Amino acid sequence: MGIITLEKSDHLFWLGRYTERVHTTLKMYLKSSDRMIDSDPNYYAEYCKKIGITNIYGSRENFVKTYPFDESDPNSIISNLNRAYDNAIVMRDYIGTETMAYIQLAIDDIKTAERGDTPLADLMLAIDHILAFWGCVNDLIDDEQIRNIIKLGKGVERIDLYLSLNRCVSDIQKEYRRMKQFLAKSLMRYDESVLYTMDNMLSQYEFDYMNVRNLLRNLFVVSQ
Amino acid sequence: MDGLIKNADTINKLLARYGVKFGIYKNGEFKEQLFPFDPIPRIIDNKEFSYLEKGLTQRVKALNCFLSDIYGRKLIIKDGVIPEEFIYSAKGFLPPCDGVTPPKNIYSHISGIDLVQSKDDNWYILEDNLRVPSGASYPMIARELQRRSTPDTFLNNSVIDNRNYADLLKEVMDYVNTGGINVILSPGRYNAAFFEHSYLAERTGAILTTGSDIVCENDNLYYIDYNGKKQRIGAVYRRISDEYLDPMTFYEDSVIGIPHIFEAYKKGNVALLNAPGNGVADDKGIYYFVPKMIKYYLGEESILLNAPTYLPYYEQDMKYVLSNFDNLVIKDVAEAGGYGVVFGNSLTKEKKSEFIELLKKEPRRFIAQEVIDFYDLDILDNGERVPRKADLRAFVLSNGETKVWPSGLTRFSRNPDSFIVNSSQGGGFKDTWVLSR
Repeated sequence: MGIITLEKSDHLFWLGRYTERVHTTLKMYLKSSDRMIDSDPNYYAEYCKKIGITNIYGSRENFVKTYPFDESDPNSIISNLNRAYDNAIVMRDYIGTETMAYIQLAIDDIKTAERGDTPLADLMLAIDHILAFWGCVNDLIDDEQIRNIIKLGKGVERIDLYLSLNRCVSDIQKEYRRMKQFLAKSLMRYDESVLYTMDNMLSQYEFDYMNVRNLLRNLFVVSQ
Repeated sequence: MDGLIKNADTINKLLARYGVKFGIYKNGEFKEQLFPFDPIPRIIDNKEFSYLEKGLTQRVKALNCFLSDIYGRKLIIKDGVIPEEFIYSAKGFLPPCDGVTPPKNIYSHISGIDLVQSKDDNWYILEDNLRVPSGASYPMIARELQRRSTPDTFLNNSVIDNRNYADLLKEVMDYVNTGGINVILSPGRYNAAFFEHSYLAERTGAILTTGSDIVCENDNLYYIDYNGKKQRIGAVYRRISDEYLDPMTFYEDSVIGIPHIFEAYKKGNVALLNAPGNGVADDKGIYYFVPKMIKYYLGEESILLNAPTYLPYYEQDMKYVLSNFDNLVIKDVAEAGGYGVVFGNSLTKEKKSEFIELLKKEPRRFIAQEVIDFYDLDILDNGERVPRKADLRAFVLSNGETKVWPSGLTRFSRNPDSFIVNSSQGGGFKDTWVLSR
């Protein structure tokens, strides 16, 4: 394809971010649901706080029933997946119909799960299809830059979520190393001084998660 | 055929999987919906297709000659074949296009000609679509999926492969390209035909754009990449209407057009497919004159028939329309997509007299046609084969030579009492098989 405009790079980047958000939050939702069965029934409140969404749920039951499915809730998993679809559909000529189809299939999975008798188990199909989407990104998209912009978005989102969810330092360092590889190959503009500071912070055994999150948010704020 | 029917749900599921949808606005809200697919194909044998091919080629050649003439020397008016008021009052006649010759002198590169087959076996042209005809992508992807789900059906029937539409389209774009890349200009995600825009971009290798990354400098068009590097554009397959194409020349409030694109086109620096101003040739009033155009430009009798049409503009036709009102279908020439169509016998006494008043007041605004009793095609409705009205949109591509795509979009009405087949009004589509024997 060869020509990537600012608008298209933006769509690719956010396609990566939203698909990752859906992937990680789906996994977290399944874990949280398990935790709320017996050990910590009100864990959903903490979960909302951690990932920075408003707790509009009021009860465990309501959270379990609506968080993945409610299209009127902008923070729901399906809303994030719809945003991934919005970014994918305008990039059909770059990512291909075959790759795009896995986003559509994941949407269908979530809708089917909502109507089904075993919604939690059925949601695993959505995770499968998100993974298949990434498989297609790797396998079917020839253009290295396109591939790496999507993966960069995915990497940035994953680090952001891991920091929010207080994942261990080694997990974050691993994802940061991967993200940097994508950043270099994506040819996207970024603030080198922010990256330098992040390098220094993340090479430590301990660092302030909030500071790293703020740096991550400023990584792509560069003067034109 | 049984295999196709058995696998109908599979095909519809696959169409959903690949995002084969169209958008509609209901109560001001955008909704995407699936375009219902029926597995029973329309079958056209080779002899019949050869006849259609000849007729369609002839018609599109004449329409291209007409456009070249009307924005040039206007001999058809001077020779009294078409009254000039029909040209100048047509909404699609664009004065800025007067005197402008498009690259390679082709105006209608992609023509969508709507036909029906009547019960006397004749094919009738219902209308010509020479601006931004849509629909080819649907049978193209449906065929792909059908071949995957029921390969034996295609092994045992001599169906000409229709999946070359994108290649034909690319050939057309390349032929008129003035030097640079090909792009498909779409109004964006919320356009009814966005699936088609994005799918054809993928299949032709053209770049899909909403125009925000295109600039016009020194009467040339450029596509600007992430780093600000410019790449020249040689052909724009634009899927936006004439009036929105360039706010500097046409509708000044357009936010989806590209400022100065018309100047670049006028200077011959970029090809626009289809050419702006084509609306004058697919005006429902001008339709009446197409057989005369064929005679005038090509010296031939029209191979394909127009539906018997009356122009209330002519006194004699007005008399006929008034005395046969209940048997006719009246069409507002300014409307499209199945809108502005009134069946005389469907009006109440009061509405009828209101309509006749309007007809007398604005005779140029309407045409009247005999209602053609066209063949029903079987569709599958809850597992039962039931007959429904269906038309055929044939796609004719012009790139120096005129080619008819050996397939087409067969649209059908899902309502047993309706003749309206448009997707925006609930219609579905089927594959169109052209047999090689």
